[in-house]
Formats: sequence, C-alpha cells, structure tokens
Amino acid sequence: MTDTKHAVRGGPRLATPPRTSRARRSGRARLTPKLGRFALFALPGLVAYGLFVLLPILMTGYYSFTNRNPFNPPTEFVGFRNYVTLAGDPEFLQALTNTVIITLIVTVLANVGGLLIALLLDRPSKLYVALRGVFFTPVVLSSVVISVIWRAVLTDDGLLNSALRGLGVESPPGWLSDPDLALYSIAWIITWQMLGFCVVVYLAGLQGVPRELQEAAAIDGAGGLTRFRNVTWPMLAPALTINTVMLLITGFKAYDQIQVITNGGPGTGATATMAFQVVKEAFVGNRIGYSSALAAVMLALVAGVSVVVLRVLQRREVTQ
Amino acid sequence: MGTQEPADTPASSGAAAAEVELSFLVFETPNLNSAFWDAAIARATAKVPGVKIKKLVTPNVDRTAYAKQLDASGNLPDILQSVNPAGFAEAGKLAPFTPEELANFTAPTAGAIDGKVYQLPYNTQVIPVVYYNKDQFSKAGIAETPKTYQELLDASAKLKRAGLTAMIVSGGGADTWADMYPLTGTVATDVYKKTPDWLVKRRAGEVKFSDPDFVKAAGKIADLAKNGYIDKTGLSRSYADGEQAFRDGKGAMYPMGSWFATSADNNKPGFEIGAFPWPSDDGSPVTPTFTGGGTLVSSSAKNVDLAKKWALAFDEDKENNDAFVKADGSIPAIKGYVPPADMGPVYQATVAIYDQGMKDGSITNAFSQEAGDASLPPGLADATALAVQDLITGKKTAEEFAAYLDEQYAKATQ
Repeated sequence: MTDTKHAVRGGPRLATPPRTSRARRSGRARLTPKLGRFALFALPGLVAYGLFVLLPILMTGYYSFTNRNPFNPPTEFVGFRNYVTLAGDPEFLQALTNTVIITLIVTVLANVGGLLIALLLDRPSKLYVALRGVFFTPVVLSSVVISVIWRAVLTDDGLLNSALRGLGVESPPGWLSDPDLALYSIAWIITWQMLGFCVVVYLAGLQGVPRELQEAAAIDGAGGLTRFRNVTWPMLAPALTINTVMLLITGFKAYDQIQVITNGGPGTGATATMAFQVVKEAFVGNRIGYSSALAAVMLALVAGVSVVVLRVLQRREVTQ
Repeated sequence: MGTQEPADTPASSGAAAAEVELSFLVFETPNLNSAFWDAAIARATAKVPGVKIKKLVTPNVDRTAYAKQLDASGNLPDILQSVNPAGFAEAGKLAPFTPEELANFTAPTAGAIDGKVYQLPYNTQVIPVVYYNKDQFSKAGIAETPKTYQELLDASAKLKRAGLTAMIVSGGGADTWADMYPLTGTVATDVYKKTPDWLVKRRAGEVKFSDPDFVKAAGKIADLAKNGYIDKTGLSRSYADGEQAFRDGKGAMYPMGSWFATSADNNKPGFEIGAFPWPSDDGSPVTPTFTGGGTLVSSSAKNVDLAKKWALAFDEDKENNDAFVKADGSIPAIKGYVPPADMGPVYQATVAIYDQGMKDGSITNAFSQEAGDASLPPGLADATALAVQDLITGKKTAEEFAAYLDEQYAKATQ
C-alpha cells in the first residue's frame, strides 16, 4: 500500500528501495576504483591546465604587485602602485577605449551579419551547403594570414584603393594610414573573420526551430516577419548567447590583427588595444610588473563582462 | 620564431662528438634573406672547429623586441645578430669583448656601455641618405641636388607642381621604425651638429626634447607633411612596400639608410637613382652615421669563449663582409677591408657621402639608431617612431611631439 502510494506520487524514482548505510559503503567502494581511473585519465589534462593556464595566471597576479623589469633588477613588492598608475595612464585609457569600440562593433556587426546570412543559407540545396563552407573559411584561417590578406586590400596602394582610383576617386580614404579610420578598419577585419562562426551557430539554431511551430503560426495568419519575431528569434536565444559571449571575448583580446597590420598606429595608440598594450609594456618597455597589472585588469574585465552578459542572455533563454 | 635546421656546414656535417651547438638569432629582410644567412654561417663555422650553429629567425625585423621575449622565457639565444644591447648589457645578460678581441675594428669603442663593448662594431651605415629618382627630378626641372634645407623645400615644391610625390616614407604594420629617417636627418642637422653628445646630456637631464633645437627639427617634418611633400598615405606601407613604391616611381625622394644602396644596384628600377646627404639650413655638411650593429654573445651562452670566437669569425670574415656589402650596402669598419671592386653606382655614391663626411669631419650620431651610452633608453625608439606618424598625420604639433617624447623618456627611465 505504502509502496503504491510512493509509486503514484513520486514515480519510479521513489520506487527504488531506500539505501542502507551498508549499501552506501559498497557503492562507495565500487566508486573509488572508478574515480581512480577517471583521475588517471584526467591527470595529464589537469597537469597541463595547471601548468599552462593556472600557473601563468597566478604568476601574472603576483608580478602585478611588483616592479619586475628583467633589465632593471632587483624585483620589489610595490603593492597596488601599478594599479594606481594604470588608472591615470592615458595610454591605458586609450587602449581601453579602443578595445571597447572594437568589441562593440564586432559584437553587433557579426551578430547581425551572421544572422542575416544564416537566414539566407537556411535552405536544403547543395549550393547553400557549399556556401556555408565558404562563409566558415575565415574562421579556420590564422589571424595572421587574414591580417596579411586584408593589409594587401586596405593599404593605400592596395586592392580597394586601386579599384576606387579606377572608378575615378582621386583621394581614396587611408583605411590604415588615417588615425581616425584605422580602428574601424581593424574592427571590420575581426568582424569579417568572426562572421562565419556566427553563421554556423545561427544555422544550427535555425535547424532546431520546430517546423510545426512555424506551420502553426502560418496557419494562424502570421506573416514572415511576425513568425521570425515570435517564433524563430526566441528559439535562437541560445545561439545569440553563444555568439555574443564568443564575440565579446574575441573583441576584448584583439591583438594579432593589430600587431600585423598597424602595430598600434598610425601614431601613438590609434589602434592599440589592451592586449596589444600588455605585450608592448612587457616586451618593448620591459615593464613586466606594470604589464602584469594591465593583464590582470584585462582578465577581470573580460571575465566580468562575459559573466554578466552570459547571465542576462541565459535568463532571456529561460524566460522565452 | 622560425627555428631552422642547423646550416649545412663542414663542421656540422662532420658531426664531431665534442661539438657545441650554439643558437644564433638572425633576422630576414629582402636584402638579407635566408640563403644569405646560411652561407655566412657556414663560412664562420668552417673557421671555428667544434661549433654547430642552430639558426633562429625573428618573426619580423624587430629583433630586439623578439630577443626580449626570448629572454623573458629564459631562452636568450647564445649569439645574436644586430640586437640593440641597451638593457641587456646593463642587466649582465651579454658578454663584453676585450680590447684585444676588438683589435681588428676601426672604431673599437663604438657603442660602448660603461666602457665595455658588447656588440661588435663591424660596420658603418649612413642614416639617412636621400636617394632620388633622377628622371623625376629632370621632369620637375630640378638641375642640382639640394644643398640647403630651403633648396630641399624648393625642389619638393617643384615636384609637387609637376604632379609628383616629393618624398616616400613608409612605416606600416610592424615596420613603424621605417618612418624615422627624415627626423633622423633633421635631428642631425639641427641638434647633433651643434651638440654632438645631445643624448648623453639628455640622460644627465641637461637638455630636453622640448628645447627649441629639437622642436625645430620635429617642426620640419610636420611642415614637410603639411605642405604635402611627405606622402602621408605611405604610413600604411611596410618597409618592403615603401622600397617598392620608390622603385615603382611613386615618389621622387626616398630618405633611407645606406643599406638601400645595394638593393638599388642589385635590382635596378627603370630609372637612374642618385644620392645626396640630408641638407642643413646653411648647406654645411652633416653626415649622420651609426657604427656597430654586429654580433653579440649572451653571457649565459653554452660556451661563452667559443661563442665569442665564432662571433668574431662571423663579423671579420672577408667573404661575409663582402656579402654584407653586396646584400645590405654596409660600409665595413674592419681594418684593411676593401669593398669588392664591382660595386654598383648607388653604393659608390653612398660611400662617397660617407668618405666626404670623414674628410670634412661632419660625422654625427644618427638619432634613434645609437647604441651604447649615447642611446635612447629601451623602448623609446619604438615610441618615437609611432609618434613620428602623429607628426606626419598632423595629430601632434612639433611641441606636442617633443613633450610626448619627454614624457616617454621619463617613463622609460623610471
């Protein structure tokens, strides 16, 4: 009688007989060798993670409280001095501004562009399947290769300006030599590189939208735009979360393109980002301690913004 | 980093059991390509038994920044080519050469730091020489090369009126350093001519970048750009692209280091190239040069004595110097050295400028290229090259540029 009640109220889970302490002990005994085997398999990964990720992060944190300069020993503990200096350093503030601008542009443009292209490619034909591959190609290319290609396009003697001159534009813009334009050129290049990633994620999301929901909405008289707004877009919430977080991280750590294409210029800091500034302070200025403080701030910013955005977007996923 | 197989040398092919493998950091340019370094390494190795060289190649020409990265990870190569010793030497990371070891060099104390020489002073370079397109000068009606700064402005104005770009300056990508040469010229004529030890005084706090002489030198660059004589768009060109732009006739003058000479001779463009020194206000000669730039040895090399022996063999070898002369237009500073007789006309014109400078005593340092006690603190040459772009694009006035350099100097010497 009691068993039946439990079975009805709680379902099969409660039908399982309660475990005695002996059973728990024997379960633990069975689990221990399993855990040992898991640990054995996980160990190499954990060691690599500890050595190449955790340890450098901890060391960076430690150095950020020192005046470490390999060319000017000894290294001394300086407390929060590096962080205080950072707060008033115009080069850091410019790098922070540039990073935020790049991140915003990349996040918005790649999301919008990726979604539009995904909607266009969400068709069964072989041509569209092939086009998906074409759009994804920049994602698998090295950033350095992409930078070299885009430099050939955007320099003043490059393909774009040669074409513009051919069309009669006498003084085409200095895409990379004009300090007011160069940052936007860099943002565009990163957007272009990340577009394929967004397309693939949105395509996966689109293919998960139940056809019956679309059909039901259509039967109810919903037009294409209404169906997109009320059915497709809410179902794409997880894809938006993934893309936005990935794009934010990519924007915040932008470095390769700047190093190859502009070296932070033209001029003092026109395209310098936080990641670029970290490397410049460490390996040009030899200020390892100061550079570590910059890296620590960057890590905190990227982690903080990512967590907040992730929480907000995931809440949206739940409430949709 | 391009780690490559050890160069195929007699020593390495012999694979003797007692061989010491030493790493050697080099950099590649259009003039100094992979084949050049392999051949030069093989010649030096043949002279020093027991050494096997592992060639490392920097990812770009900024070998000093790369050496710092390697050092930070505890991997400073045993031997390094043309890395700026500033910072490394003071931190005890380089092995000094003794006066006896430097006996064959014509300027054995060049680039000394606290009286010690850490980098072999194997060659001299004139920086800048103004290379010019003779056809475009003729087309613009310029009969004589400019002797005074005003004549340079007049020539530039004539070129502009003829629809030609007066001056090519590059500096795009990682090659920001390539925009420095007009400023190196004006600092020589307006600052160093009057105060040859200006940077030593700057270190002592006796002068500042914001002093009138330096501001005047910077102002000349700002004016050249403002008047449209410097091609601002060139700032997106890499060093190699800048050189190519001059070859393609996209500008009449190309202020560049003397290393361009042999490149011009070896790969002749469709016009004749001439050369003249950067002109001073009154036309009196000023010849900015840099002597040094050779090989350095890490104090933690596997075998310091052997590494120094190899470095000396590398820098003193006649064939290596001939190769450097032919590939990179260097003017070797080795006693008794005579360049190959078949050198081309642009190299001859460049050497004539240097010889004239020696004859009339007009040799000065070349700003931002210096090594040793009279050099900029580590990192400041890079900051200056970036700030020059602000001068050229009009983002900074000469005064702001000078103030920025003072600020950066303070930061670099904290």
